[in-house]
Amino acid sequence: MTILLEIKGLTKKYNAGTVALDGIDLQVKSKEFIAVIGPSGAGKSTLLRCINRLVEPTSGSIDFLGQRVEKANSRDLRHVRSQIGMIFQHYNLVSRLSVLENVLHGRLGYMSSIAGVFNRYSEEDKKKAIALLHKVGLENEVYKRADELSGGQKQRVGVCRALAQQPQLILADEPIASLDPKSSAVVMDAIHRNCTEQGIACLVNLHQVEVAKQYASRIIGIKNGKMVFDGPPEALTDYHAALIYEGKESQMYQQQVAEEQPNPTGRKYA
Amino acid sequence: MKIPISHKATKRNQRLFFLVMIVLFVPCLFYLNLSATQFAEGIARIPDIAKQFLQISLDDLPKLLTELLTSVIIAFLSVVISVIVALLLSFVIADTTAPNRHVAKVLRVIVVVIRTIPTTIWVLLAVASMGFGSMAGVLGLLFPTTSFLIKSFTAQIDEAGKDSVEAIRALGGTWWHVVCNGAIPTLYTTFLALIAFNFEMTVAETVILGMVGAGGIGVLLQEYISYYEFAPLLMGILVVFITLFLLEMMTNQIRKRLNSQAR
Ligand SMILES: Nc1ncnc2c1ncn2[C@@H]1O[C@H](COP(=O)(O)OP(=O)(O)OP(=O)(O)O)[C@@H](O)[C@H]1O
Ligand SMILES: [Mg+2]
Repeated sequence: MTILLEIKGLTKKYNAGTVALDGIDLQVKSKEFIAVIGPSGAGKSTLLRCINRLVEPTSGSIDFLGQRVEKANSRDLRHVRSQIGMIFQHYNLVSRLSVLENVLHGRLGYMSSIAGVFNRYSEEDKKKAIALLHKVGLENEVYKRADELSGGQKQRVGVCRALAQQPQLILADEPIASLDPKSSAVVMDAIHRNCTEQGIACLVNLHQVEVAKQYASRIIGIKNGKMVFDGPPEALTDYHAALIYEGKESQMYQQQVAEEQPNPTGRKYA
Repeated sequence: MKIPISHKATKRNQRLFFLVMIVLFVPCLFYLNLSATQFAEGIARIPDIAKQFLQISLDDLPKLLTELLTSVIIAFLSVVISVIVALLLSFVIADTTAPNRHVAKVLRVIVVVIRTIPTTIWVLLAVASMGFGSMAGVLGLLFPTTSFLIKSFTAQIDEAGKDSVEAIRALGGTWWHVVCNGAIPTLYTTFLALIAFNFEMTVAETVILGMVGAGGIGVLLQEYISYYEFAPLLMGILVVFITLFLLEMMTNQIRKRLNSQAR
């Protein structure tokens, strides 16, 4: 297996002074399905966002397929990003566009400004996008507007958009944190199945240890910006989990809490 | 003794506030030489003026309507131009989409400066350089209208546009992709509602600004006032009132439809 991503000494200090990441070293090989767990505020989102530089790292090096991401100019950065799909907790779809248009956005990274702005997607891309939607069970939603869908359906569109990039790596930042258990399973299945079939490596932030153990080929535990666990799911015992969530035990059961309070932050996801 | 219930510091502040108001009010009254006799005389004249007002004349109606049309056209033109300029600049200024932070900062300061200068001053400046007429009206309105739109647009981009902007950026889109494929479709209805609101405001403004020489119906109204021609003045006021009322209803309708569309 080739090394896809190599992170060395990655540190991120936010302006406010919080050290979100404190010297992370991480190697991701192709086809790995890695779950990142850790308590709230541990730095999981920051880690994923540093990889495609939605957040600028403070120091350290990020090597993606031989390209130094942290030093890349804007053109090279675009090229790197086009090969890395991203799935967001709040789906981040363009709500007024059709489902198909949202999936086709995955092709923008390979298109010129003019071609993208005037929606000149190739017929080939359109066919592939529709096929992806069929695959995740959204064949009847292709021409619906994105904001007409349920949360679980929206996230499947998000997954298709990432897959449409034909990426080498997918970053998923708590893809199921706003979903009920049933939709969560559908979404996680869609991510896992497609990544495995197409040999895409995946880094997925999760709150629930059980879900991480169920899908991941490798688990990483992060706490206070430091990596505190790195190993196969079998090696992650209750002891380790407790250690990672020490003092924040309640967060291990995030999903159950979320069920009782479907709308804890006051935002509407449905 | 009764039990106190209020927050002491808050109450003290409130008392102080009202005291200062009263203390300031008295010297202000004397400063402006407001006299009771002048007030009484004015009141006495009201029935007389009302009588003159009530002789509505339709004679000037065609003239009023053409001038009204001019006013609306002035407003329309300045809003259209402002929308184009504001759309281009908003995405350069908004934090979420700014391609260059320093450029954004400089532009933002310029917009603030433009906004602190009242519309009337802009029109007077335009009148001074262009001469009386519609040209001055459009030019003078351009600055405040554009800066208003830029301020509202950027606020929306930074608030409602963040998520889709982030998504397009993450998948390797160019700045144009981020703006045209991500932000604009997301903000389309919000922008339309803002533009409708702005148009309504600008029409009301052109009526007033006509009085300082910016062309349109305001010029006529100003003439009537200075020659004490109350009959056509009332007609003019009515025409303006009806237009603004209809416009308000229309923009409300537009906004409602947009909202129901966006759900
Ligand atoms: N934009 C920001 N500005 C300043 N501080 C930030 C910013 N984003 C995150 N932080 C801080 O960095 C730390 C790590 O945040 P991060 O979002 O990476 O945590 P997380 O592990 O994803 O948490 P969660 O599970 O709640 O999503 C936190 O202390 C947070 O307050
Ligand atoms: Mg997070």
